[in-house]
Amino acid sequence: MLFSRRLMLGLAMAGALAFPALAEGPTEIDLFFPVPVDGKLARDMGTLIKEFNETHSDIKATAVYTGSYDDTLIKTRAAIKAGKPPAAVIMSANFLLDMQIENELTNLDSLIAADGVTKEQFLGQFFPALQGNAVINRSVYGVPFHNSTPLLYINADQAKEAGLDPNKPPQTWAELTDWAKKLTKREGDKVTRWGIAIPCAYDYCGWMMESLTMSNGGRYYNEEFGGEVYYDTPSMLGALTWWNDLVAKHKVHAPGATPGPAVSTSFISGNAAMMMLSTGSLTYVRDNAKFAYKVAFIPRNVRNAVPIGGASLIIPAGLEADKQKAAWRLIKWMTSPEKSAWWSRATGYFAPNMAAYKTPDMIDFLNKNPDAKTAVEQLDVAKPWFATYKTVPVRKTLEDEVMLVLNGKKQPKEALAAAQKAADELLKPYNAETSLKLP
Amino acid sequence: MSLAEPAALPVATSAPPRLHALRRFAAGLKASLPAYLLLLPSLVFLALFTYGAMGRVFVDALYQRTTPKAPVRFVGFDNISAVLADASFTGAVVNNLLYAVGTAIPSIALALLFALALSRTNAVTSALRAALFLPVLIPMVAASALFLFIFLPNVGLLDYYIGHLLPVLPNWLGDPDIALYAIMIITIWKNAGYYMLFFLAGLQAVPEEVMEAAHLDGAGPFMRLRHIILPELRPTFLFVTVIATLNAVTQVDHVFVMTKGGPSNATNLVLFYIYQQAVEHYDIGKASAATLLTLAALMALTALSFRTLANREGGP
Repeated sequence: MLFSRRLMLGLAMAGALAFPALAEGPTEIDLFFPVPVDGKLARDMGTLIKEFNETHSDIKATAVYTGSYDDTLIKTRAAIKAGKPPAAVIMSANFLLDMQIENELTNLDSLIAADGVTKEQFLGQFFPALQGNAVINRSVYGVPFHNSTPLLYINADQAKEAGLDPNKPPQTWAELTDWAKKLTKREGDKVTRWGIAIPCAYDYCGWMMESLTMSNGGRYYNEEFGGEVYYDTPSMLGALTWWNDLVAKHKVHAPGATPGPAVSTSFISGNAAMMMLSTGSLTYVRDNAKFAYKVAFIPRNVRNAVPIGGASLIIPAGLEADKQKAAWRLIKWMTSPEKSAWWSRATGYFAPNMAAYKTPDMIDFLNKNPDAKTAVEQLDVAKPWFATYKTVPVRKTLEDEVMLVLNGKKQPKEALAAAQKAADELLKPYNAETSLKLP
Repeated sequence: MSLAEPAALPVATSAPPRLHALRRFAAGLKASLPAYLLLLPSLVFLALFTYGAMGRVFVDALYQRTTPKAPVRFVGFDNISAVLADASFTGAVVNNLLYAVGTAIPSIALALLFALALSRTNAVTSALRAALFLPVLIPMVAASALFLFIFLPNVGLLDYYIGHLLPVLPNWLGDPDIALYAIMIITIWKNAGYYMLFFLAGLQAVPEEVMEAAHLDGAGPFMRLRHIILPELRPTFLFVTVIATLNAVTQVDHVFVMTKGGPSNATNLVLFYIYQQAVEHYDIGKASAATLLTLAALMALTALSFRTLANREGGP
């Protein structure tokens, strides 16, 4: 008896000693996240990750703020180079192609297959317009997380005051020009209120050019191949000429390049009556505008079309298997209908998961805030966001020239020719390596 | 042989010159060994993080990778010639020279003015000195974020206060003709208080007797400034100029925060160009080549300044 009791005790002791060794701590993972628009996204992200950690005891996720979309790409690349990639990153959706070309992304096909679903079933949860920036060469590399389209924001009070009906927003470029003229206020030669503001800072400028070019019937880049951009084309020339006319001819748009925050500040302060901005700024406008406002589709010249914006969740290449698995669980949780819907309400981005719009909270929210529907409705005419080899420098070649035009230093035609030349130069090695390579 | 003997004699009695020098060196080493030992930790870290990195940059500058699929290949000085042929690099150099002159001269002039005005210590000047020094304490990134709102077109503080005086409201950071000057303002605002410290210290070193003598001889304040104070401050001037020039090349936080080198590269400075090549273009070869060129220019400049400094002070 004594023997067996001692044995029992010994076994219990051994068990207690072995326990800490057996019970592994939670898998620690980092999530890099950017804040590309106005508002309190960083605080909301803290709330979201706290909830994830509370419901997943075996994973400890840490949200790491990484700046703008461009900065997030840079920091992720630096972390990969240093051999310590974060487990997951909320990455601007248009950087995925560039990263895939650089072998920096984990192909998600096998993780999807391990869950017992097909790629089609997995992607079927998300709006079809988002797939162009998530699937590369028929493999899944990103999971849409928060997405956007550009919107036309209108100060409804000022529109009414100018004799315009904010419930019938301008639908064409001609109407928009007309509205902008009526909404611009002058004292002598001095403009005291601008009719419209369109952001042009690095990153935003290229997206707005893509939007205007699409509305003008054109395209920005080759959606199937990362080595071609279409800057020196009639459709882009028409778009840039119209934008420049707002500045130089009609004088309803402030000259010079204006960053996104300056545009939203101008709008909020009543200094600009209309603005084109991401739906990602919608919550910020809702919380801060002291006037009635309306949001509408981006007006067309030839057709209604907008580029997708926003970000996808990615898993960088070079991670250990357990971290990869933990990241995959985090990604699936964050893109689930409920979380996706919560994030959309918090930020103004639309929820990429279609089922998010069937959750009771979201139905309730949309009834109270019909303005949040516009971006989702606009998805029917949305197309992929520009994505090329070396996306950022290739995009900058265009942005630098557009800034010169908006400052009255160059004419649209010569500016676009220069942008095309510079972009072709950057794309040359990639083309030589791929499309021009003879068998 | 016999004729040569007497001449060789004095040499033979003392140690051969080579050995003599060695012995002197050994004695010197023995004496300064503790000093070298004290310097050793710094030297280790410098070697690891500065000289090692510099060596790496030198090697990287000789190689080029075009696409991810293509192998890295040796290109010799191609990267250097590519950088020199790049219009955005030459543009950045011109911007940087303009920026260096445009920030160094006003901030040094202001610093001297502050120092002269506040050289006497009392409660008022102490408070003013602290007030002028305050911008130095604010991190450049925070200061830039602050100025972002000051420069905001139409609704910013600057337009709010002086906008009504101008016929057209300038887009301070959005106009390539103005943006570089706009960011110069922050640098001047931030550095003037810092350089003031050096001038205050320099003024302390002006001998009291000389000033008194000049005063007795009937030299007015301007004469004293021109003939005594400014010449006495010459080493301070040189030192501050070197610091200001180096600052003009190494401070780019405000470019990151406010303009990202834009609009249309108008505020692109050399360091930001290097950063763009390395992380945006993913072109390590060109980034390294540009770094080498910058390093060479800065080293030449610093060597020149030290020589001038040494000459002025008489040397050993």
